[in-house]
Amino acid sequence: MAMKKFINDPANLTTELLEGYCLAYPDKVALESGRIVVRAKPKPESKVAIVTLGGSGHEPALSGFVGEGMLDASVVGDIFAAPGPPPVIQALKMADRKAGVLFVVLNHAGDVMSANMALEMAGKEGLNVRMILTHEDIAPGASAPAEERRGLAGCIPLYKVAGAAAEAGKSLDEVCKIAERFNDNMATLAVAIKTATHPQSGQAIFDLADDEMEIGMGQHGEAGTGRSKLMTADRTADVMADRLMQAVKAKKGDRLLVIVNGAGATTQMELFIIFRRVHQFLAKHGVTIARSLVGEYLTVQEMAGFQMFFAKMDDELLKWYDAPCDTPYWTVR
Amino acid sequence: MEAIGYDEVVRMIRGAASEIRANREHLSKLDSATGDGDHGTAMLRAMEAAEKAVADARPPAIAPMLEAVAWGIMGAAGGAPGPLLGSFFLGMSEAVGERQTLDGPAVASMFEGGLAAMRKQTPAKPGDKTMLDALIPAVEALRAATGAGPDVASAMKRAADAAARGAEGTRDMQARFGKARNLGERSKGTVDPGATSISCIFKGFADAVAADKNT
Repeated sequence: MAMKKFINDPANLTTELLEGYCLAYPDKVALESGRIVVRAKPKPESKVAIVTLGGSGHEPALSGFVGEGMLDASVVGDIFAAPGPPPVIQALKMADRKAGVLFVVLNHAGDVMSANMALEMAGKEGLNVRMILTHEDIAPGASAPAEERRGLAGCIPLYKVAGAAAEAGKSLDEVCKIAERFNDNMATLAVAIKTATHPQSGQAIFDLADDEMEIGMGQHGEAGTGRSKLMTADRTADVMADRLMQAVKAKKGDRLLVIVNGAGATTQMELFIIFRRVHQFLAKHGVTIARSLVGEYLTVQEMAGFQMFFAKMDDELLKWYDAPCDTPYWTVR
Repeated sequence: MEAIGYDEVVRMIRGAASEIRANREHLSKLDSATGDGDHGTAMLRAMEAAEKAVADARPPAIAPMLEAVAWGIMGAAGGAPGPLLGSFFLGMSEAVGERQTLDGPAVASMFEGGLAAMRKQTPAKPGDKTMLDALIPAVEALRAATGAGPDVASAMKRAADAAARGAEGTRDMQARFGKARNLGERSKGTVDPGATSISCIFKGFADAVAADKNT
C-alpha cells in the first residue's frame, strides 16, 4: 500500500506536528523544550499535577488532552516510540511543586522503561511522584497478567477523572485512589480491518487480507492474536461488547462509560453503527450506558478499525467525569 | 593488543554506529514482521547520538565519555532501545571507573557492568527473544576468551561471533517482550531485531579493535 500523506521530511514529523498543534491552540497549550506539551496557563501550585508520556502518531492523543481539568504535561516521543528518560525527568521536575505528581504510564515496553528510569532519578531527587500503569487491553484475555496487557485509549478518560479530582484540590493520595479505582474497572478491545502506514518508513504496519479482520490489534499496528474473516458491524460489536462486559464484570443495573474510538480511517458513520449495536447488546443485559463518546481520541494514523472501551462507573467517578475541563480535544463547561 | 584505551573505545563506538547504519533497513524490515517496523530507525538514531557524544568528549577519561554516550542515546532515541542501550552504556561507564586503559579482563568487566545495568531495566531472560539473547552470549564469550589469552582483539571477535550466533538462535523463539509479544506463536520464524542490533554492534566493536592492531 503506497503511503500518501501530507508530510515534509519524515525526520521532522514529531517536531512539526507539535509546533503546529501548539500554534493552533495557544490559549490552552504550549511546547516546552520541543517535546513536552504543557498547559498554557499552569494550574495553581497547590494542586496535584498529572503527567503522562507516549509516542506521537496517535493524535489527538495524548497531548490533545493537556489543559485545565486534565493533563498538566505530556512528554512526547517519536512516532509510536516512547520518549527517552531525559525529557520525562524534566517534565516530572517541572510538575512537582507543592502537591506532587500523578504520573500516568501506558503499559508498553518503551514507555515503562523510560518511566522507570525517570522515577529512579525522581526518587534520588526526592520528587513526590506516584505512578499509575494502565493496562486495560483485554486482547490476551481479561485475566491475563497485567504485564501482558497493553495500555490503550482508556488512559484518556482516566486523565479526565484524575484531572478533575486534582483540579478540585484533592490530595495526591486521594487523586491516586480515584485513578486506581477507574483503572481497575475499565477494559478496552481493539479491532483492525485495514493497515496504516508508518509515516517515517512509508511501510504498512501490518498485513491483513482484503477479507480479514483482527480483533486484539495493538495501537502501533502490532498484531493481536485474533485474526478472522470480516464480520458485519453488528456481529463485531456483539463479540467485542460481550468480552468487555465480562471483563468489567458489568451486571444488570450497572452503569458504564462506553467509548467507541476510531483508529483514524474508520468513518464516523461506521462508529455510530457499531455504537448502536453496543447499546442494544448492553440493554439486553440490563446494563445502562451512563455516558458515551464516539469519535477519534487515540488514532493509529490511517488504520481502519476502532477501540471499544467500557468503564464501570459509580456516583463519584461520574461526578469527576462530568466536571468542567478545557483542553483542545475534550471540553466540558 | 593487550590493552585498549580511550581512542580504541571511541573507534569501537564509531564502528558500532557504522554497522548499525549499514544495516538500518534490514533491522526495520525484521521489525515489521512482528513489531511496528521502526527498530532500524531507532537504533540508528541512538548510535548517531552516541557518535555525537564521542565527538564532543575529550580524552583520556573513558567513563565520562561512556556516560555522555548513554545520556545522548537516551535523549535521542526513545522506544525500548533508548533506555536499554542507554542503561547499557551507563553500566559500562560505572564498571570502567577511573581506569584509562583496559586489559582483556577489564574489558570483560566493562561489558559485564553494561549487561547488568541493562538487565535491571527488564525482566527478560534468555529465550525470551530479546537483545539479551545476543548480549549474554557475547559477554560470556568475552569473559571466557579474556581468561584464555591476553589479546583483546581476538577476545572481542569471539564475543562478536557469539552475539551473531545468539541472534540467529532467536529465529525459532517466541517473543515474550516488546510489541512482538502479542503475536504469540506467530512471532516465531524471524530473528529478533534487537538481538540482531546487538550482533551488529559487537561486530562493529570487534572490527574496530582488530583494525587497531598496534601491538
